Amino acid sequence: MILVIAEQRDGRLNRASLETIAAAQSTGDTVRIAILGSGVDGVAGELGKADAAEVIVVDDPALKEYTADGWVLALEQLIAAEKPDRVFLAHTYQTRDFAPALAARLKRPLVTDCIAVTGGGYVRPMFQGKLQAEVAVGDAGAHLATFQIGAFRADQMKAGRAPIRRAAVAVDGSKIRQQPDAPFKEARQAVDLSQAERIVAVGRGIKGQEHIELAQKLAQAMGAELAASRPICDAGWLPMDRQIGSSGQTVAPKLYVALGISGAIQHLVGMKGSRTIVAVNKDGEAPIFEIADYGIVGDLFEVVPALIAALNG
Amino acid sequence: MAERETLEVDILIVGGGPAGMSAALRLAQLQKERGGEPLAIAVLEKAREAGAHMLSGAVLDPSALHDLVPDFTEKGAPLAIDVRRDDIYFLTRAAKLRLPITPPFFRNHGNYIISLNRFVKWLAGLVEAEGIDIFTGFPATEVLYEPSTGSGQAGAVVGVRTGDRGIDRHGRKKSTFEPGVDIRARVTIFADGVRGNLTKALVRRLGLDEGKSPAVYALGIKELWEVPAGRTEAGRVVHTMGYPLKMEEFGGGFMYALPDNLVAVGLVAGLDYRDPMFDPHVAFQHLKRHPVIASVLEGGTLVRYGAKALPEGGWYTIPKLYAPGALIAGDAAGFMNSARLKGIHLAMRTGMLAAETAFDAVRHGDLSDTALKAYDDRVNASAVRTELYPVRNVHQAFGYGTIFGAAFTGLSLVTGGGWLKDPMPAHGGWTRIRKLAEYYKDARPDPESTVNPVKIDRQLTFDRVTGVHYSGTRHPEDQPSHLIVHDASVCATRCREEYGNPCIRFCPANVYEMIDAGDGTRKLQINASNCVHCKTCDIMDPYQIIDWVPPEGGGGPQYEGM
Repeated sequence: MILVIAEQRDGRLNRASLETIAAAQSTGDTVRIAILGSGVDGVAGELGKADAAEVIVVDDPALKEYTADGWVLALEQLIAAEKPDRVFLAHTYQTRDFAPALAARLKRPLVTDCIAVTGGGYVRPMFQGKLQAEVAVGDAGAHLATFQIGAFRADQMKAGRAPIRRAAVAVDGSKIRQQPDAPFKEARQAVDLSQAERIVAVGRGIKGQEHIELAQKLAQAMGAELAASRPICDAGWLPMDRQIGSSGQTVAPKLYVALGISGAIQHLVGMKGSRTIVAVNKDGEAPIFEIADYGIVGDLFEVVPALIAALNG
Repeated sequence: MAERETLEVDILIVGGGPAGMSAALRLAQLQKERGGEPLAIAVLEKAREAGAHMLSGAVLDPSALHDLVPDFTEKGAPLAIDVRRDDIYFLTRAAKLRLPITPPFFRNHGNYIISLNRFVKWLAGLVEAEGIDIFTGFPATEVLYEPSTGSGQAGAVVGVRTGDRGIDRHGRKKSTFEPGVDIRARVTIFADGVRGNLTKALVRRLGLDEGKSPAVYALGIKELWEVPAGRTEAGRVVHTMGYPLKMEEFGGGFMYALPDNLVAVGLVAGLDYRDPMFDPHVAFQHLKRHPVIASVLEGGTLVRYGAKALPEGGWYTIPKLYAPGALIAGDAAGFMNSARLKGIHLAMRTGMLAAETAFDAVRHGDLSDTALKAYDDRVNASAVRTELYPVRNVHQAFGYGTIFGAAFTGLSLVTGGGWLKDPMPAHGGWTRIRKLAEYYKDARPDPESTVNPVKIDRQLTFDRVTGVHYSGTRHPEDQPSHLIVHDASVCATRCREEYGNPCIRFCPANVYEMIDAGDGTRKLQINASNCVHCKTCDIMDPYQIIDWVPPEGGGGPQYEGM
């Protein structure tokens, strides 16, 4: 049995958890999903729509806010009770914070940042993705594995109905040493583009800051997040946290619309996992067309208003 | 706030390349041979891991290696393959002429084709096995001198300061700020490579280049390819002259065949060209399209890209090699044989000789200029001089054109390399670049255009930005630019008019761009995180207002296998 530890913040499910459920389902093993927090019935209901044996809710006032100690205390008990063969987690910042401590507490191996599950183990990138290593866990006992965001697709998660059960886990709040403060200012401002289902990205072809609004309108009409290639963020036309590519974020949305982006390899590595790529560019030889599913060779200042009109019409 | 820490060592080596690593290894050997109180030795290296910033052709003359590590075969030296065949071609746009005989300077029998990255990583392993610390990810940013009020000899070099970490792009301290460390040493060996930032500062402050010929450099651009089986034979070395360079331009191409269908291909172009529109990256693409090279590469895949300057000036451009508390070794001092296209063995040898001098000086407690002069004597008595002195005027002769240069190089074999005036008169490379109006007269090209464009097909030819990707270069974005343009107002006005912004062409990594300022003019944009640390801008900028300083530790290319 695989136990997937889902992640939420303020009652909002992290989409990366759905990817991890998809990873667990791909093994053909029985999947159980755990969610930790306080007052997280809404998230549990959302997780109940997955094809899984059950959703286990660990609800405790001491888990209202995330703390590494709280999570380790709760999960240590839960894992002892459920006895999963494997524990899967999304390789998020939160996981990176507590998973090593949890693994040490359980005295179990931890395989991090995996991108695939194989018959004998896992595949994980090494040397900045230049190499992929196949990792096998030495003894046959239980272990933990974390999965890179974007390695599996949330929309490939098999849907179903999973019964929801409350776990008999109590967390002794006095044993939690951390006192969480308000999240960092950067964290509040930052856009997590990896969570977006649709993205409209602009490149140099947008020509001037005054035209960003046009792309913004298209994004609104599509219900998409606005992102950019590097020159746009370098020029300060959009904030750095909206940059896609090797020096920005890596995304794999369902739909990626690239406006006036030539497709430098540094940009492509940040978005090539997108399910459907639409490119609009004046230069028919631009490398973006090599990976686009739909390409429009044309002036974005003609194409985009027409798209907005069609979407709003 | 964190206090600045200080570390004390006996001998500090700045730069973990072939010179620095050889110096470290030689010091460990001397310790064993001579015994006594063990000396504290440290190596500083700006790259994240040893060897990551190493780039060379590379054909290794193993003479210094034989002396430094006699059992190098048993110790698993990564010498990819011995050279089995040498060819030299003179190229024109569409044709090739193979020289019927290989001139002696180009004969590589007994030499090896290597990856300098792998070779230096291997040396680093030997150094660490001797218990010497290699601090990777720590660039040195300043030379420390004994103050006049200090206890030691006023003005003597007493170590270096490493770079601060955790400064944002506006120069403000981030929450992660850590001040650099002062590493104080009795002797500091500067092996910071071609146009090393500390050696440059040291030479200027102490006037170590007084009475020497101006330093001259070249830019080398190299790619590593994996080609279909059977295209070439491993161990084959090809050098080309002529196309795509003009007769007035120094340089040439190379193609070295490694085992496992790997091929290193590159172009070396003198950074003393006249044509302000010359674009070494475009010239390299032209070279790859020439049948001699294309017939090998076609259908293959690009594995790595990189670029680095080379010191080409030779014997007369080597600065005074010692100062109180300091020695200079390897490329930093300009130890390269431009007739043989080799310098790794000279870097190793001078590193070893510097180590011997530093060891004696520390043991005898005499760190004066006179004691350290022993290094200069050692170099003069060594194979380094025997090799470099006869070719002391070779690069300078190429300043009078390829034909004169080649003829002079040949003649040097017989005459011993002298000329009517010895040293042959020479100029700093950057002073030779001509203004657009002078070079192109009335047919002045648009600075944003390419005079001799090449088709970028993304099969054989690539743009700069793609090259940067294949160099593995990474720098954290939120840090100050490590390319300092002291007066950027010159760029859009005077430089654009006079030279057409040559930086946008000579930089092989698209660091410099003149972008639309929105009002019909252009302005300079520095994409510092693209920088592959080649130093060309610092060398070639016609106004000499660009300073390359090290970025935050660990940033830069990742030249795996190069």
